[in-house]
Amino acid sequence: MDATASSKFSDVDEYGFKRGQNFDYRNYSKFMDGYLKTLTRRRMKWEAILQQNPDLSQVDAKLKRYIRKGIPGPYRPDVWMKISGAAAEQRRAPNLYRSLLNSETFDKEISDSISIDLPRTFPDNIHFDTKKQRLYNILIAYAHHNRDVGYCQGLNYIAGLLLIVTEDEEKSFWLLKHIVENIVPQYHSHNMSNLLRDLAVFRELVIRRVPAVNRHVDNLGLPYPVIASKWFICIFAEVLPVETVLRIWDCVFAEGYKIVFRAALAMFVTHKTSILACDDIAALANHFRDIMIQDSIVTDCHGFIESMFALRLKRSELESLRKVAVLNPA
Amino acid sequence: MATTPRSGGAGSGTAQRPNGTSQNKSCQFKLVLLGESAVGKSSLVLRFVKGQFHEYQESTIGAAFLTQTICIEDTVVKFEIWDTAGQERYHSLAPMYYRGAQAAIVVYDIQNQDSFQRAKTWVKELHKQASPNIVIALAGNKADLSNIRVVEFDEAKQYAEENALLFMETSAKTGMNVNDIFLAIAKKLPKNDGANNQGSSIRPNGNETNRPTNNCCK
Repeated sequence: MDATASSKFSDVDEYGFKRGQNFDYRNYSKFMDGYLKTLTRRRMKWEAILQQNPDLSQVDAKLKRYIRKGIPGPYRPDVWMKISGAAAEQRRAPNLYRSLLNSETFDKEISDSISIDLPRTFPDNIHFDTKKQRLYNILIAYAHHNRDVGYCQGLNYIAGLLLIVTEDEEKSFWLLKHIVENIVPQYHSHNMSNLLRDLAVFRELVIRRVPAVNRHVDNLGLPYPVIASKWFICIFAEVLPVETVLRIWDCVFAEGYKIVFRAALAMFVTHKTSILACDDIAALANHFRDIMIQDSIVTDCHGFIESMFALRLKRSELESLRKVAVLNPA
Repeated sequence: MATTPRSGGAGSGTAQRPNGTSQNKSCQFKLVLLGESAVGKSSLVLRFVKGQFHEYQESTIGAAFLTQTICIEDTVVKFEIWDTAGQERYHSLAPMYYRGAQAAIVVYDIQNQDSFQRAKTWVKELHKQASPNIVIALAGNKADLSNIRVVEFDEAKQYAEENALLFMETSAKTGMNVNDIFLAIAKKLPKNDGANNQGSSIRPNGNETNRPTNNCCK
């Protein structure tokens, strides 16, 4: 039985996160009745895919379609490693992770800032207490591997969620490295230059796709970095419910950075009416912080993923917006 | 001294919301929290806004925005609170938040000398870059741990006096001085209609620097 099913009536989800107080168990149970069949069907399909193409060396149209429907939980660690190219990277430097950890000394400032963040990473996750040392290892190893980034707050959430999913320090390290260096390079480095650039790109996309929403957000005076910095820095970890984040990450590992923009834009497009209904800055900030991430999106994560892919968005558009945004960052 | 009536009592309740009577004057102020990572900025806000405390408050990524309203005498003061990320690299985002702010709370941790030095750097930056009339409060947080302090009360107090800052030691954990520091700021802020306008504080050319002084808020 898939792990998703076993937590049906628990107040903790299958990843160890406590469900919200207002979690709608009845609706969830109804949803799961149907969803379990889907999950079983999907697992059988994935078994077939992995038999035919065990390396998943090429993400073709068919594989991409399956990935967009969600990678079954038990396959996620290996599929992520393969489709992202992290597994190939690891094969090229099989001793890298251990050798980083075997270093004589660690930079004290980095070590201290990681240690401060350990107890405040997923404090509500019931399994996380036992994972703190491993999270420290991943973060300290990465910080010393990439001194330009070092430790950036937010990486704790990415690495923490990777660790929950993979249950494997080393895989988490390689996937973290892939995200930070290949998916969203220079978001987490000391000057965060690409983060500011992409926040400006994102605003431009909102202006183009949902201009009324942009006008409203501007009129109320909530800056885009307040709304969306965390979305981009954490790739939605600790922003959206965990199942939704993992579905987004499935696509991120297969298709790259464009997915991050798709998800961010979908937040604005799918919530257009409720955003426009916020009549002051406090209501709007509250809306982005609490309302959008409520548990109903767990049962509706399909709907959210579908809305992401219903959006017109081409890499060429993003690239040309990036060129302009470099000149006028957020 | 007329202070805010508290809900809950024992000093730990959230600040009282306005009762909506029409004779209240109302003002709105933009307040920014600055300070090193993990000194308790978000915890101070959480205590002030919701009366809660989490031992392991999640780190703020980017920034957060909250509001809280308090009453002083017959004036309703609404704070727009911009809570920022403390890690050094998030510094490049900070001017966006303190620009146009009428008030700032610069927070340090009384157990951490570096965080006090960092607070001084923030004060310098605010004096140089922020609105000239900005009201700055220095908060020595985690005062419940005063038996293991490294930053002496007198040292911080003297620094605050030399730099014309409000100063209190606070504890987001116990609630000590949390409402009081916001209240002290509210009292020091000029309450006239310059800040009364919804959203005036966030426009690029907001009128926070040249408010009319003869016109009290209605």
